[in-house]
This record gives sequence, structure tokens and C-alpha cells, in this order.
Amino acid sequence: MNANENQIYHDSAIKHVSGKSVYINDMNAPSDMLHGKVVYSPYAHAKILSFNLEKALQVKGVHGILSYKDIPGANQMGPVFHDEPCLAENIVNFIGQAVFLIAAESKEIAAKAEKLIEIEYEPLIPITTIEEAIANNQLLSVPRIINRGNANDAMQKAKHVLKGILKTGAQEHWYLETQTSLCIPDEMNEMMVYSSTQNPNETQAIVAEVLGIPRNEVIVEIRRMGGAFGGKETQGNHTAAWAALLANYTKRPVKIHLFRDDDQVMTGKRHRFISDYEIGFDDEGMITAYKVNLNADAGATADLSMAILERAVLHADGSYFIPDISVIGKAWKTNLPSNTAFRGFGGPQGIAVIENAIDRMARFLKKDATEIRFRNFYGITDRNTTHYEEEVENNRLFTIFEQIIQSSDYHKRKKEIAEFNSKNEFYKKGMALTPVKFGISFTTAFLNQAGALVNIYQDGTVLVNHGGTEMGQGLHTKMQQIAALELGISHEYIKVNATNTSKVPNASATAASSGSDMNGMAVKNAIDIIKLRLIEIAIDEFNKKKHPNPSNAEDIVFHNNFIFDKLHPDRILPFKELVMMAYLQQKSLSSTGYYKTPNIHYNRDTGKGHPFHYYGFGMAVSEIQVDVLTGNHKILRTDILHDTGKSINEAIDIGQVEGGFIQGVGWCTTEDIKWDTNGKLLNHSPDTYKIPTVQDIPADFRTTLLKDAPNYNTIRQSKAVGEPPLMLAFSVWLAIKDAISAVGNHEIEPDFSLPATNEVILKSIEKIKLSGK
Amino acid sequence: MKATSHHIRFILDNQWVELDFQQSENIRPSTTLLNYLRCLPSHKGVKEGCAEGDCGACTVVVAELNTNNELEYKALDSCLVFLPMIHGKQIITIENLEQHIGKEIQLHPVQQLMVENNGSQCGYCTPGIVMSLFALYKNHHKPEKEVIEDALTGNLCRCTGYKPIIEAAKHACIHQGKDHFSEKQQEIKQQLLNIKKDNTSILLYHSEQLYMLPQNLNDALKLKKQYPNAVLIAGATDTALRQTKKGEIIPQIIDLSQVEELKNIEITDKSVIIGSSLPLEKLKSGIEKSFPALFNILKVFGSLQIRNIATMGGNIGSASPIGDTLPFLFACKAVIKLQSFDTKRKIPIEDFIIGYRKTAIKTDELIVAIEIPFIPENVILKSYKVSNRKDLDISTVSVCFRLQLSNDKKVKEIIIVYGGMAVQTLRAKKTEAFLNGKTWNKQIVETAMEILYNEFTPISDARSDKEYRKLACRNLLMKFWDETK
Repeated sequence: MNANENQIYHDSAIKHVSGKSVYINDMNAPSDMLHGKVVYSPYAHAKILSFNLEKALQVKGVHGILSYKDIPGANQMGPVFHDEPCLAENIVNFIGQAVFLIAAESKEIAAKAEKLIEIEYEPLIPITTIEEAIANNQLLSVPRIINRGNANDAMQKAKHVLKGILKTGAQEHWYLETQTSLCIPDEMNEMMVYSSTQNPNETQAIVAEVLGIPRNEVIVEIRRMGGAFGGKETQGNHTAAWAALLANYTKRPVKIHLFRDDDQVMTGKRHRFISDYEIGFDDEGMITAYKVNLNADAGATADLSMAILERAVLHADGSYFIPDISVIGKAWKTNLPSNTAFRGFGGPQGIAVIENAIDRMARFLKKDATEIRFRNFYGITDRNTTHYEEEVENNRLFTIFEQIIQSSDYHKRKKEIAEFNSKNEFYKKGMALTPVKFGISFTTAFLNQAGALVNIYQDGTVLVNHGGTEMGQGLHTKMQQIAALELGISHEYIKVNATNTSKVPNASATAASSGSDMNGMAVKNAIDIIKLRLIEIAIDEFNKKKHPNPSNAEDIVFHNNFIFDKLHPDRILPFKELVMMAYLQQKSLSSTGYYKTPNIHYNRDTGKGHPFHYYGFGMAVSEIQVDVLTGNHKILRTDILHDTGKSINEAIDIGQVEGGFIQGVGWCTTEDIKWDTNGKLLNHSPDTYKIPTVQDIPADFRTTLLKDAPNYNTIRQSKAVGEPPLMLAFSVWLAIKDAISAVGNHEIEPDFSLPATNEVILKSIEKIKLSGK
Repeated sequence: MKATSHHIRFILDNQWVELDFQQSENIRPSTTLLNYLRCLPSHKGVKEGCAEGDCGACTVVVAELNTNNELEYKALDSCLVFLPMIHGKQIITIENLEQHIGKEIQLHPVQQLMVENNGSQCGYCTPGIVMSLFALYKNHHKPEKEVIEDALTGNLCRCTGYKPIIEAAKHACIHQGKDHFSEKQQEIKQQLLNIKKDNTSILLYHSEQLYMLPQNLNDALKLKKQYPNAVLIAGATDTALRQTKKGEIIPQIIDLSQVEELKNIEITDKSVIIGSSLPLEKLKSGIEKSFPALFNILKVFGSLQIRNIATMGGNIGSASPIGDTLPFLFACKAVIKLQSFDTKRKIPIEDFIIGYRKTAIKTDELIVAIEIPFIPENVILKSYKVSNRKDLDISTVSVCFRLQLSNDKKVKEIIIVYGGMAVQTLRAKKTEAFLNGKTWNKQIVETAMEILYNEFTPISDARSDKEYRKLACRNLLMKFWDETK
């Protein structure tokens, strides 16, 4: 085994840089392939009175136009709740809702046909804001509530109480590869589905349901996605279902690759939240009581909203012990595309509220918010249970805090910033330190299971199949490394296959940051099973020579492409040779593997349990400068210290930390989504929807992984890293607030919301200036 | 016209490709380079991310002859490039970068360093990023951080946070631009020269479209006279969107991108005369010292890929209320030089822009040049652009100030021109009138700001609400004062 086995490059890196990575839209199209087009509602809320497809069907090159009437199976594609029609029936509930599907020989022909579809709508009044949804009692499902102690009493007894409302905005995933699926009908009912999906198992289920066929007729395969970030956890299913319906109808391959603007209009976003809170605390800034109502904009259907809301409720505590706490989460239906998973999955929305509340406490008490954060961190031996009664084990908040305060030179720079601000009228600097504590596991306990299928071939090469999907995060690379380390062979002999539901069935979505943890264990499990067989053969072989000390199974080691007895290193076989021996001795060189995360349970009714296997921790310190006259800002420096346990691949983990952080920075700053009062999305292309560019990253950007921090009871002592770093962007968000606050000499609480666009920043500054006059 | 030709030629995969659109069903002249490449079996590496030049996933590099007949490598968004624009050029795509030596494949240094610095995650933006890095590699041998960032501004990556890509760029550019392309450079140059010598204008007929690619000004003027309804393009960064975003097929196009007479930059003792079809990136490098106010605007104008084809003629001709160069041109009292086959005239920019996307151009005229008088030494000229994202974003508000003070610190002349505040670029004449003759101090400026705040009634849109526009508009005057006090 290579000494650098934990430093290999992304398994697709060379293909990526040479344009050879094949995404679904790049696959060699069968010559009879048709292009699918989704015709969607232009109204946020309307009745469909009538429609006529005759004229459109006559366009040369059109091979089919489907309405809900043409769906052979169930007209349903809701992942959890069955509240989401695949094609609208009598009513449309958001702009972008699919109504018809067209299959044509080219995209242009499909577009021509679309214009000839006759449809009569009767517009109804849409609900386009959370406020309207609340006023109209559009509650999606039962609220999610967690209480500990008596927050009302504690609030009354609190020395100080601050109340407020925080709005956090939506966020468009802006994966570079829009939603795509290619469906190829095979004999009888069989359907081969290539789908850019994080959840092939669910895509398979939904395709089977809409086609009215059993799941064993459908195979879903995905080699890689061009980014997903949660946006393809459920909503990749939609495009697959539509393409499958068209392929089934025309009996020809059909591909749907959404145009960018259509993708932005049709698909759900990160949930907007409006949260009102009350926080009680003493003179020193110890939090004694916290009450928060988290109100999420679910959009038109449930999708994953309740699970997302649940994670928001479970993360309302941030990194802080709060003795008496009441958290109420409600999801509200609006006439917008159904909001969906997005990196962090509600966690960011829950954490933003408490971080902003602490920021307010600091201003109120005239203390540094960092000091207040530190004071309220979960303890190591006491004050260490969450509001849902899970113990915060292996708490690394203090270790990280001590290190980052030093490495970021926090106190010195804080002083320098104050000095800068006292001398400058039109530019103000701000700085903030924010922590993240993020629970790892699906909160829906049964999802915490994974499968794998490992095949070793006669030439000694290995093909690893697992249920996780590759979206750029390097999951396949880590699986390749795990297989290499467990088999003691070089990673070059190992290939990770495209994810395929016929190889590994019933897998959970690659989500909740759990991909490596769960699939890694499943791969290891499969390999362990094969290794037992190989060891048996090796021992037989070694012991043929009747040594006085025969080899024992427990002493057999797989290392450096060999297998040997560690007590008698001369008893050694090349891995490849052993594999051939196994084959000749009629032993199976293939095994499935399985894993379920241990000890996960959560009772939604009581709001208590142990929903997380462990926590991911990290902290960031960011310094920014605001232009007081325009509200523009720039990030001067960010220091991140993040805990990834004993990293399986440091470069990949740093990539996740930095990439997640910058994605969070986008959400916190320039990524502003606006719908007009008719429910029409105004930012439907990158022309007006602004994700960070290379110019928007911190001028000085320092990322470090926490050293000597092995995790417990996880694959190779590593930690999940996908989602937690996104929330480190609150350091930028609150540094901006700190700079705004400097305009009023930190005496006035700035108006603030998320994202802090230049518009929000400037208006907040102007208000402070006015109240100062 | 003496003679015309009816096909275009370009080099792809080291071979000449000749396209004649007359018989073609699948492609028409205005088919974008991106869509053309993706139809080929071996160029699926080029990706569509947005079809509007905002993400750079479709970036390719063209090698073309400059005015000195040297080969230049430019990154372009292939989603915005109509095929005739690449006539007489070499197209280099992601598939062309690696080198095959026997059975071995050797990555280009920019590719190798992207691998070694973990510069890709999902990989979808990567081909575009690699091509931008390749252009950087060919053009800069020791790029400063600012140059690297500028080269990458037009490429969105949603996964990495960009840092490893910057690292890759830093380490890649140490080879003095040498690679397997340098070895073939002379040969390619000669081939392109042979095409360039042929000054025959090109008319491309297709059942749905007539695409005209004049090779000289005279032919261009003749064609415009003959086809007064033809849409004029040079970089087409605006016009292309009508096709890529709205599916419109433009029936007649006159493409000025290959008319050499329109790409000059002439400096007289009184003014700079800028050819209307000079790409903005070329302009930018030419005016850094003479017009820093324009330079500052061009620095945040689109991305390098956009500036490599976009022109000032286009920015003026489209007369958008948020055209980035317009406030500057107003403040400079620039003059637009118009020409038809029969006439020539000059018109001040302020009289040329007459409404929302409306100009005083006649149907047979072309904008041939923009004349910008030099600013006297005692005049201060400054431009500002406010946008939601600093780079590759359209202005929320933009402004150019021109100020001349008398010896006693009084305002002798002030011109204040805003973009984004009305249906067209407009001067803040009430505020100007107030300030004229007043002492240039903070108190006066604060009073002027209140006038300015009420001078315009901007709209709320996807970029910003009207209140923000009014506040930023007002505050920019203070910023200008602060920087000139």
C-alpha cells in the first residue's frame, strides 16, 4: 500500500480536467432518441378549465404530448407525503408546475409545439409569502416542538430579555449541471433510467409508481452529478419520472435536460424562514431562557419540508447549552415551487437565529459576542445535554476555540478594527467568530442504513459498488481509499462503479453528510466478508508445509499488495495470486456489505432521543470591510478550523470545508431570491442570481483541519464533512453586522436579515445614521 | 461587392473545417459555437451551464491573428459566439489540450496542476475553467493575483470555493507559455494568414436566415443600405441572448466583427477615437493611463470572456439604461461617428441615446467610431458602479462625475451622469445646477445629495428596489466628494 494512500486525488480528476467525464447529457445518445420538454404553469395558483393538444400534436417531429390522463400508474411523485402530482390535474399550485410533457425530435420542435398547446386557466389568488400563509392558516403538518424545562417561567425570571424577528432567505442550488435524465425503454415494461439524482432508490420507486410497474422492472444508474447540494435529493426524481413517462409512451429513448432558467423556475430552493425569538440572560451574558418559533416556507407541497424543519428545530440551540428552552417549528404552504433539501437541511436556518440573538445580547451588554459565545458553549462534563436530551459527546468546541483565537490573532485584530473604525467615516470593518455544532445522521432513523457490493475479479482488480452517489464531494474517492486500505492493495486496482439500483438496492439518499460514514462501513463490511474467505485459503496454503507453528487467522495481514502472516513474514502471497487461488478453489470473490448506524432513535412526539451518531464541529473568524456609502462589502480574511476526525482524504475534506463555506457566504450575502406578488421568480438566471465568483472569496483565506482528533465508532475514525462548514459563513454575516454597528458606535442595534445584500446593509446603515441625528 | 463567398472556414482539431449552411438542416449560421461543438461526437467536454455568458462552463479558446499578424489566444463563452465569428480562426477546446506521446497521454500543465491542487470537485465547470487557465497560461508568464482572478471571474464554480483553482493558476504559468501549441504556432499562423489575405465578404444563406460577414467597411455599408432591417452585431453578447434565451431566429444579421477598419484605436492630440468593433479588452489595455475612469469601469465590465468580444459600439448601440460605458461617455462629451454608404455624420452621445434602448441611428447607418475628447488636466473624472455582486454583474446604479473647480474651490463645471436610475442614461441636471458656482465642501455636497435623492424615480426590479437605488445614487456623490476633497 502506498504511503500516500490518504492523499490520492479525486478519482475523476484527470477526466474532469480533460473533458472526459461523462454526465448524462454527454452520453452517446441512441440514434432514435427524442428530446423531452416540460410545459409548466405560468400561474402560481389557478384552475385548469380546459386544454386541447390537437394542434400541437400535428407539428412534424412531435411524437407525443402527455397530460395527467396519460399516466399509466399513479399521478404522484411526492417522496414522503403523497401530495405532489407528477402532472397537474385540475389545479396548478405554483409557477413552474409541470402540466404537459412533449417528446419531439429536437428541442426546437418541442418549443414550437408548446406554443400551439391550448389551455385555459382561471387564475386564483396565490399565497406567496410566509406571512400570508400564516394569516390564511396554511399549516403543512403538525408542528415540531421541543421543550426543556420551563422557558416561560425562566423568561420571566431572566434579568434581561431581548425579542426579535429574523428573516432568512431562500437559496438556489445552482448546481452547474441542471436536472437531467435519459430513459431508455427495454423489453416489455423494463425501463433503464439514467438520472442525475442523489437518491437512485427513490427515483426507481417513483418511476415505477408513475409507470404502474413493479420496481424490479426499473434500473436507475448515475455515474456522477455535476453538483447537487441537496437539489437532487428528491427533485431529481421529477425529471426522471417525466422522461420515463415519455419514453414509455413513445417506446423510444427520451432525454430531458432542463434549460437553466426553467430549472431555476421549476425547482425548489432552500427554505425561507421567518423566526421570532425571545432570549433571556444575565449580566454576564449567560443564556437562561430561549423561546423560538421557526416558520418555514414549504412551498406548494411537503417534499422534505418536515424533515428539514425537524433539523432546524434540533439545531435551534446552535453550540450552546440553554437550560430552559422552547422550540416550535411550523412549515407553511405557499404557491411557490416546493422547497427542498439544501446543504445544511434546515440546520443553518435554526442556527442563524441563536447566533443573531447572541450578537444582539453582546451589543446590549456592551461585550464582545465571542466572549458570550464561549461562555455559553456546551460543557464537557456538565451543561452537556441538548434540548432533545442527547449528550454532546466528544465536545471539541473548547479545543477549537482556544486554537482559533490564537491562530487568527483575534484579540489584537479586534483592537485594530476598533481603531480603524474610529478613524474612517466611509469604510467600516467588522469581525466575528462563529461556531458550528452539527448533528450527523438522518433524523428519520430508519434511513441510517447502507449497502455495498464488492466484486474481486480473477486478475486481482476490484469493483466497488455502493449505494451512495458522486456529486463532486469525493465519495467514490473515499470509497476507493477505504477499499484499498482494507484490502491492503493499491487504489489503482480498485474502481468504484456508477451507482446502480440493480447492484445495491434500497439505498438511502446520499445526504445528511452521511455518504462516507455509512457507505464506507458497508464497503468495509463486504470486504471483511471476502477477507475471511481469503484468509482461510491463505492459511491452508501457508500451513501446507506443516510448520511447527501453524499460521492463525488473526495474524494474517493484508498489506502492500500482499497477504502474509505477521508472525512469520516469509509466509506470504501476492494478493493477485491469492485471488486466483480462491477462484480455482471455488470460493466466492464477491460479497454484499451492509451497515446501519447504531443507537439512533428519536421520538417526535416527546421531542427527545438520540437522533445523531455524533456531532461535527468547526469555527471560523472572518473580517470584512463595508463601504458605508454603497453597502458593498469585501471579505478581508477568514480563518477556519474544522474537525473532520481522522481525515480519510485531507485535500477532499478541505475542499468540502472551503466550498461549503463559500456556498454559505453566497447565501449570507449576494444570493437574493425575489418572487413578485404573483409568485413569479424574478431571479431565474445567473444574470440576476449571483453566486460567489473567484473575486468574492476572502482576500486571505486560511483553512485548517483539527489535528489529532480521531472520531469514535466511524469508518477509519473519520467525520462527516459535507454540510457543517456551510454554517461557518455566519462569521461573515455577523462580521458585516459588526461593521454596520460600528456606524452607530455599537450603540444601536442594526436592522439585519439574511442575506445581507448591499441593499440590506445600506438601508441598515442609513437607519442608524438617521437615528443618530 | 466585387465577389462574395458563401462559406466559413476555421481550424478545429488541427484540421480545416468548412461550413456552408445552405443545405444544412441542423445548423444555421447563427448556431452557437457551443451547440455546434456539442453536436460533434468528440467535443462533449464543452458544457452548457447557462447559455447567457454568465457561468463560463462553455469557455473555449480561439487563436487568431492580431493587427501585427501575431497569434493571440482568447477565452470566449462559446454559448454567445455565432459560428461565422470564428471564420479564419483556430478553435481550441478542452479535448485539444492533452498531448498523445505514443500510448502515453500527457496533460497540459494547466490540467496537471488542476489535478494536483484538487481544483475540481463535480467537474462540470472544470473544462471551462481549464480553458480560461489555458488562455492565461498563453498570455501571462508570471501573473499577479489580480490577473489570475480576472481570468477566472467569468467562470462560476459552485463546489470548490475557488482557492485550489487560484493555486493551480499560480503554479501553472511558470513555463513561459510553452506547450505543444507553441510548436505548431508558425504553421497555424501561416494558415490563418492565407485566409486573412482573402478579403472577400461572406454571405451565408440558409432557409431561415441570411448572415452577412463583411470583411471591409465598404461592404458593410453597402449591405446595411441593401438590408436596412438587418440586425447589426459585433460581439453579439447582447443580441445572442435573443436566440439562446428566447429561441428567436433573427432573419438578417450583419456581423461587423471582422471589419478591420472598425477595430482601430486612434490617438490624436485632442481625443481618442475608438473603433466601434474594437473588443473592450483591447480597449481596456489601451486606455488605462489616458482614461482611468473608463479603465475602472471596464475592469468590472462582464468577464474577460465577454470583454474579449463585446464592443463599445454594441454597448452604445443597444442603448441599455444600464450600459456600463454610457455615463462615462456622457461625462466626456463623447461624439458618435456614424456612417452610411452615402453619408457621414457626428452626433454627441447625449443626443444619440434617445430613450429606452432607442438611439438616433438611421437604418442605413453604422456606428463606426466613438471620439472621446481628452479631459483637461484640471478636470476630475471618476466612475463608480454599484452592483449586487462586485464582478460580472449588471449595474444597479452606475455614475460618472466630471468636475472642474476654480482656484477658490468653487465648482466651475460639474457633470453627473447616472445609469440604472431611469429608462435611459441621464444627467442629474438639477443637482448639477445647484452645485454650479458653489463651494465644493461637505456641507454643500450634503445639501446637493438631498436634491439628487429626489431627482430620479427609479424602479424596483430583480436587482434592487427603488429605495436602494435612490440611496446609492445620492451617496455616490459623497463618495466622489470624499475622493476629491
